[in-house]
Order: sequence, then C-alpha cells, then structure tokens
Amino acid sequence: MSKNINVALIGNPNTGKTSVFNQLTGLKQKVGNYPGITVEKKEGICKLPRGVKAHILDLPGTYSLNTTSLDESLVVELLLNKNDKDYPDVAVVISDVENLKRNLLLFTQIKDLKIPTILVVNMADRMDRKGISLDVGAMEKKLDTKIALVSTRKNTGIDHIKELIADYKSISSKPILDPTRISPEYFDRLKKTFPQEDLYKLWLVITQDVNFMPIEKKRIQDATDFSTKSKDELKKLQHKETVLRYQLINNILKETYKVDFMAAKGLRASLDKILTHKVFGYLIFFVILLTIFQAIFDWSGYPMDFIDEQFAMAAEWVKNTLPPGVFTDLLAEGIIAGIGGIVIFIPQIAFLFLFISLLEESGYMSRVVFLMDRLMRPFGLSGKSVVPLISGNACAIPAIMATRTIENWKERLITILVTPFTTCSARLPVYLILIALVIPEGSVLGLSYQALTLMLLYLIGFGMALLSAMVLNKILKIKSRSVFMVEMPTYRLPLVKNVVYTVIEKTKSFVLGAGKIILAISIVLWFLGSNGYSEDFQDADRIVTERIENEGLSTYSKNYIQNNVASYRESAEAEGLAPNALQDSIEVLTQELSERAVAQEIASYKLEHSYIGQAGKAFEPLVKPLGYDWKIGIAVLTSFAAREVFVGTLATIYSVGSDEEETIKNRMAAELDDDGNPLFNLASGISLMLFYAFAMQCMSTLAIVKRETNSWKWPMLQLGFMSVFAYIIALIAYQILI
Amino acid sequence: MIQQILAYGTLIIAAGYLVWKFLLPKSLFSKGKSNSNSCGSDNCGCN
Ligand SMILES: Nc1nc2c(ncn2[C@@H]2O[C@H](COP(=O)(O)OP(=O)(O)OP(=O)(O)O)[C@@H](O)[C@H]2O)c(=O)[nH]1
Ligand SMILES: [Mg+2]
Repeated sequence: MSKNINVALIGNPNTGKTSVFNQLTGLKQKVGNYPGITVEKKEGICKLPRGVKAHILDLPGTYSLNTTSLDESLVVELLLNKNDKDYPDVAVVISDVENLKRNLLLFTQIKDLKIPTILVVNMADRMDRKGISLDVGAMEKKLDTKIALVSTRKNTGIDHIKELIADYKSISSKPILDPTRISPEYFDRLKKTFPQEDLYKLWLVITQDVNFMPIEKKRIQDATDFSTKSKDELKKLQHKETVLRYQLINNILKETYKVDFMAAKGLRASLDKILTHKVFGYLIFFVILLTIFQAIFDWSGYPMDFIDEQFAMAAEWVKNTLPPGVFTDLLAEGIIAGIGGIVIFIPQIAFLFLFISLLEESGYMSRVVFLMDRLMRPFGLSGKSVVPLISGNACAIPAIMATRTIENWKERLITILVTPFTTCSARLPVYLILIALVIPEGSVLGLSYQALTLMLLYLIGFGMALLSAMVLNKILKIKSRSVFMVEMPTYRLPLVKNVVYTVIEKTKSFVLGAGKIILAISIVLWFLGSNGYSEDFQDADRIVTERIENEGLSTYSKNYIQNNVASYRESAEAEGLAPNALQDSIEVLTQELSERAVAQEIASYKLEHSYIGQAGKAFEPLVKPLGYDWKIGIAVLTSFAAREVFVGTLATIYSVGSDEEETIKNRMAAELDDDGNPLFNLASGISLMLFYAFAMQCMSTLAIVKRETNSWKWPMLQLGFMSVFAYIIALIAYQILI
Repeated sequence: MIQQILAYGTLIIAAGYLVWKFLLPKSLFSKGKSNSNSCGSDNCGCN
C-alpha cells in the first residue's frame, strides 16, 4: 500500500479551483461566480490511473504569495511548512484562460518554492468565443512544466490532470526566477547568514512578516536579526520582484498566447457600462430586487396554502385514526403542527435561493458588489465588506466567515458586528406570514403592497447595517482603510445543474437544520402547554363549566356560533331549504357548535393555566406595550434560539389551546385581543416585523461570532444591543400606529 | 400505557437535543478535529 499523493489546488480567486476540485473528487463544494467563495481549505480523495490515490486540497483563492488577508495566508502557511501533514507533493495551479497573465504570477512564485507544479488552464470552452489561441507545447517548454487545458463546464481535460498528478515525479521542480536578481547585494547577505535555508522561502517569510502576520518568525529571529532593511525598503523589493516576474511572463505569453481583440470586445463591455452606471446601475438593481420580491409573493402563495392545509388535515386524521391518548395528542398537536410550521416555508426559501444563485452564477452579483462599493464608502466601509453584507441576505454565518477576506482587523470586526442586521433567510418566514396577515392586498403600479413591504424590510435591514457601521466606525476609530479591487468576472449563462444543486442543498440544510430545532422545541412546548400544576389547570373542566352556567359563553364563542350559523343559513336558503327544516337543522347545528365552543373554552383555559401559560403570563407585561399577547411573547422568546421557530411555536401553542385542527394562517387570523379585535393587526404586525428585523435571534450566529472574534465580548455586545434596540423600535412603532 | 412511554420518550429525546445543541459548550464534543475542516458544508451550523 502506497501513501496517497498530496495535491494542493492553488490559484487566483474565481478561476474555478472548486469546480476542478469537485470534478476530481466527486464532492459538491460551493461554486460561485465571484471571488472569495472558498475561504477555508476543503479536502477530498481522488482515484488516479493505476490504482494510485490522491489527497486533494481545495484552497482559498490568492493573487500572489505576498498575502494581505487571513484566507490568503492559509495558502502561504501551508506552502512554507514542510511538516504540515497537508504539505503538497505536487501543486496544481488553476488559471483562467482569460486572465492568464495575472494567474501566471502566482504560478511562477509557487514554482520557485521548488514544489513540482502543474499548470491547469481552465475555462478552455471560452477560448473560441474570446478569440484566444494558446500554444500549449511551447508554453510547457518555456514554463518548464506540464499543462492541462481544461474546461470543467464541458468536462474536458480532467483525466489529463489526473494523469499528470499520477506522474508527478517526472515534473520538474526547478525554480524559474533567480531570487538574487531582486537585489543581488541583499540576497547575497541573506545567503551568507542562513546558508542552510532556501533563499526564496526565506524571502517570503521575511516579507510575510512585513505584510501581515508572523509566520515562523521565531525560526529566523533565533538566528540573527534579518531586518537590515526597513519595511518600506522591503516593500520596494517586493514590488521589484513582481515587476521581474511580469517581464518574464510577458515574454512567454508574447510567443504562446494570442487574443483576437475584435472577438473579445462587444457585449460584455457595453453590458458593464450599463449595469454599473451611476444612475441606471442602481435603477436596474432596484427593478431586479422588486421583481424578485414580487415573484416570491406571487409564486409561493399557492404551494404555501396547499402545504398548510395538508398539515391541518394530517393532524385531524391522526386524531381520528389513532387510539386516543397522550402520544396521539402529542403527535397531532405538537409534532405535526411543529413540522408544519417549517415545511410551509419550503417554497419561499427555495425561491429565494433560486434567485440568489441565479444572480451569483450569472456574474451579476459582482456588479452589485461594485455598485455597493460606491454606496458604502460614505459609511466608512470598503467594498470588501460588500460580499459579506450581500451574502448575509441568505444567512449570516457564511457571511461572517466571508469577512476573512478583509485584511484590516477593525474593518473586519465592524463588518462582523453589523452583518446580522441584513435580512437572512430565517426572517423570511416570519415576515411572509405576518405580511399576509396584516398588510392589505392591492397594489400600486402593478406592485403589490405586500411585496413592497417585504422589500422595504430588506432595505431597512441593509440600511441599519450601514448606519451602525458608520456609528461603529466613529467609535472604534479606524485609521487605515483597505484598498478594494473588484474582480469583474465575465457573464456566464447560469449552469442549470449548479443552480438546481444550490437551491436543493440550501433548502435542505435550512429545513433539516432548523427543522430539528423547531421540532424539539415544539415537543417540549407541547408538554409544557398540556400540563400544569395549579388547581386551575387540574380543575379546568369544572371551573369553566360552572362559569358558563353562570355567565354564559364568552363573546368570542358567541360570535363564533353566530357567524357559523349565519353562513349556514345563507347557503341553506340559497339551496331552497324549507323554513321548518331550516329551523330544525339550525337548532341541531347550534347545539353542536356550543358543545364545541365549551370544549374550546376549556382547552384555552387549560392552556392559560399550564406551565407555558403561566410563564407566558409572567412575561406578558414586558411584551404588552409592543402589542403582543403572552402567546406571541413565548414565540418571540423561543425565537432567540433561531428566528424560524416563531411560526412553529405559535402553531403548537394554538393547537394545544384549541379543540380543532386548523391551518396556521387561519388560527393566527382568528386570534383576538382582550377587546375582541384581531390580535394581529397593522400595529402589532409591523411592530413584530420590526422586532425581528433588528433583534439578534440566532444562537448559531453568536457562536460563529465568538469563534471569529475569539471572545465572548463581541457576541454578547451584539446580542444586548440588538435586542434592546429592537425592543425600543418595536415599542415606538406600535405606540405610533395603534 | 404505551402512549405514555412513547410520549415521554419523545420528550426526553427532544429536551436532550436542545440541551446538547444550545447549553453544552461545543468544545466538549469537537476536540480532536478543531477549526478548519470541522465544517464540511458551506453553511456550518446555519439553518
Ligand atoms: N465557462 C466556464 N466557467 C467555469 C469553468 N469552471 C468554472 N467555471 C465557473 O467559474 C466560476 C468560479 O468557479 P469556482 O470553482 O467557484 O472558482 P474558485 O476558484 O473556487 O473561486 P474562489 O473559491 O472564490 O477563489 C463559477 O461560476 C463556475 O461555474 C469552465 O471550465 N468554463
Ligand atoms: Mg473555491
């Protein structure tokens, strides 16, 4: 048994490293058409010809080995550390045929580390369209390497990579650039001081230290003081290195790489001009956003109602079919209601991810990043914060991980702190159900009020993130600002496979991840809601029956009976039922309805005196000023684990507290406040939505912030500030609107 | 009786899961394989 070959995939951002990785290993890591998708190393196994196996490492994209940020330094650290268990036997540099010149800079640097290096020229499928021609044979000679021309899109060349990897021993590991050319005098001295060290590696370690963080600094310091040169001088030398390398590359490309510019121009340039235009750019983006929100509303309504009804029916069926008992009740009222509370949102979540991945894959997202960069400067954020802030609209966790590309620590911290304000997909369910309940239908200019409200909520979230960034910027006093270069990837027709995969994967992880928590919370809540210690709870039957005998049914029940009878009478009269028969059947119906109403009143009395009811009542004074009753209060409280729990919690509480199985939407609409008006009205609905917009209700995000900032201080600050702020805004909103 | 057992069994599993997920420190469980590749899919722990 031989050892696996260690292979590292290295390359500039957005050149298709992860796509190659996925093809080689059969895994499915996230691919996207903008730089900075991969921020951690990912590994996989690839079977090579002749039974050899390779251990493949996918790395974050890096422009050169002179790193400036955390994700890039990962690559350098690996390449400089021979003892790392992942230290590559062979490096595979992935380049993009359209940006070969810039890509080759990194290639020459890696080759100078004396690691056998293979060059993969990816996106070969675009050569024709761009008028590019490449003399692979000549280039292999000049670069002293082996080249694989690959298109992961068309699935060509992958086998060639595998062969080259299997044959890695035959690949030259001779360096390309003699480092002493950078500064003969300085490098001679280095050579004398560290005769046993590799000169170029040493140089990288030294400059690394200048640029970013100490990498094995000790090793050098132990020997002697290397900094006979100041930081500025070292930077100059580094610059000289880059120039030398580009000279070399230009010479090679001159003979091997040809672009027919007539073919290369055209569509992309003019598209970019419009899409990133100072006025039209924003206008177009705005229209696209509107379309997306409108579509989420229009398209997801039907499947949503359908799912809602199915779950109500399932609960009813379980109750009627299984033998009566605690478990049957738990199943019908706790488990099914809880699952229903999450499954109902599959359609919208899927649509949301569909649009996001279409925007990412087509390359439009990078134009948005460019637009936003311009917009964000006044707020003290650089464009590097844009990617996290935009991907925060899907989920704050990958967004916070994406801040690793920001080299300036304070700027990174600010971005981490404000990202949870952006509207993550977990807020969507809460917004949608509330909007459907409290925002009237109807439209202006073909745009429904409901879609507009949803968009407004997204804008509020984003605006709040910017605003707090500005405030934090003032407080934390950032001096240096990092430079930002947006890479404009070419437009590509989104690959159906990628899009479908992303949608399924994201939706699945949303449903499964959130589903488990929601289900568990529902079950626990159900127990707390159907048990109680007080006498009121134990004797609920007697107490309520006596009360009804003395005072009659509650107004709510009376209305319920009246409404039902009225609608029955209408339909019966329409059918032409004889007056006598009508009278009789109404009597029977009324009898039936009042029995149901009594059962209903007992159930809700019990709920109010159960554990959860008493806890809720104790908590109620706090949420009353926001327009919520104790049930909503409980739902808000459980949402601090994760926002999406809100609807599931309400579904469970309502179904314990009622005698019939109903859809969640109808139940919420039927809830009344103390005065007999709908509990979910414009004022309380808006107040709730604003609360969810601003509150930090996500344990997973807190955990990630702790991990990324390495202290509990920041996540706790976030939690405290955002919750208090949310409370105040919700309070103001309710008090104004009521 | 069976109903009781099933119901309380479910309760214990659910409550146990929540405690494990939110209350216990994560570090207890993920000792061996810290940071980098403990996070296989793209949205580690995200719902
Ligand atoms: N036309 C074409 N597009 C490709 C090819 N390979 C990858 N892409 C696209 O290029 C984009 C970037 O691919 P990724 O695999 O995410 O690139 P990456 O190098 O891992 O990017 P980072 O992780 O962000 O550094 C995606 O939109 C891919 O669909 C190819 O052979 N041809
Ligand atoms: Mg990648």
